Amino acid sequence: MASEGKPRILIGKPGLDGHDRGAKYVAHILRDAGFEVIYTGIRRTPEQIVEAAVQEDVAAIGLSLLSGAHNELFKRVLDLLKEKGASDIVVFGGGVIPEKDIPGLKAMGIVEVFTPGTSAKTIVETLERVLGSKAGQ
Amino acid sequence: MTFIGDHPQRLPELFEGMTHWPQARLVVGVTGAPGSGKSTVTDHMIAEYRQRFPQRRIGVIAVDPSSPFTGGAVLGDRVRMMRHATDPLVFIRSLASRGHLGGLTLGAKGVLRIMGLIGCDVVFIETVGVGQSEVEVAGVADLVMVVLAPGQGDSVQMLKAGLMEIGDLFVVNKADLPGAQTLHRNLLQSLSLDQGAEHDCQHAKSAGAGTAEDGPLISLRKKGLPDVFMAAANDHVGIDEIVDGLEAKVEGHSDQWRQRREDMLVDEIRESVLEEARRRLDQTLGNNGRAGDRLGQVLRGEMSVAQMAQELLERTAESKRNLK
Repeated sequence: MASEGKPRILIGKPGLDGHDRGAKYVAHILRDAGFEVIYTGIRRTPEQIVEAAVQEDVAAIGLSLLSGAHNELFKRVLDLLKEKGASDIVVFGGGVIPEKDIPGLKAMGIVEVFTPGTSAKTIVETLERVLGSKAGQ
Repeated sequence: MTFIGDHPQRLPELFEGMTHWPQARLVVGVTGAPGSGKSTVTDHMIAEYRQRFPQRRIGVIAVDPSSPFTGGAVLGDRVRMMRHATDPLVFIRSLASRGHLGGLTLGAKGVLRIMGLIGCDVVFIETVGVGQSEVEVAGVADLVMVVLAPGQGDSVQMLKAGLMEIGDLFVVNKADLPGAQTLHRNLLQSLSLDQGAEHDCQHAKSAGAGTAEDGPLISLRKKGLPDVFMAAANDHVGIDEIVDGLEAKVEGHSDQWRQRREDMLVDEIRESVLEEARRRLDQTLGNNGRAGDRLGQVLRGEMSVAQMAQELLERTAESKRNLK
């Protein structure tokens, strides 16, 4: 549903690693860019993240993951979204993710993967572009 | 919900023609200073309610502040409640305050209404971390729970107006920390000062005919002395008693209860009328054809602003008749 403000974005950390510095940083820069960010904290299951995203009616989910389980967990999130009829929610990822895995993740339906060193500006601009074009549809 | 969160002014319009909408049986406002444990207490209350009444649906509206600079927000109340995320009978919605002062956000009422509609039995409304004067939640919730934690000021803070006046229940959280006992004592003392005042007031009114026990106390609160609980929410200590306390209030105060809901209804009707009037006024003023030269008259001093206002009021009332 159209919103006068910027879209809501959920940031979550699926899986078992507890390194949330990156996730918090991204939450922070998105907040500063005027987004409403719902932060769900560390060690969440894909089920928890997807359910929260549906209840909160977010436009996008950002998954931060440093454990190496991205191929499995990101896929699980996408599958669950489809199951819930919420595949309109954009999913992006970030964290320590090997370059060679990124094409596979994108093919799966992850719109973008932000690896360490990505600038805040890139992240914000990418999201504005992706979510903006969706809103315009 | 997103729609009503974004366009709170269209609430009456959305519910136009709906007469028998279900409402939550109990709406509990949870308020208190930042970091006093509102989310954690709420989380454990959900757990307690879910355990006691496995069939009942619980709603949570969690409000966190928007940045006054960028309009952005980080909504983090959910972090404490994530264990309920996959429970189909717990619906949690985070809202940003969007510049609204008072501890809530303009869309909160509409979201609350929808939570009633989807069959929530109990709805918790968690305010932003508040200071002293953000008491808006009292106008929305049936019962207000003020969460306090040690280390937030001495007994003088308890005397100050605002937050301390709206609590139906007080929870001294983090009871395992030093200072909790002192806080509890200060709180009880302060609240008993309130009671003393009520006593005096009652005596003055009844001119010695009977004691305060004979009739309802006269107070801002209208509901007698608030209950005070000690809790260590993180360890689920004291939550049991709080839920008992809440339910006892529901049982024991149904008259004041109805009164409060009626008051809220009157507020809502007033807002609805004002909103509709505003909309029609905009329409009338927008039609610059007629309003235009009247405006000129006011500008030239041939007509006063008050006269103009009166005329517009009459015209908006007429447009209602035309609609019928």
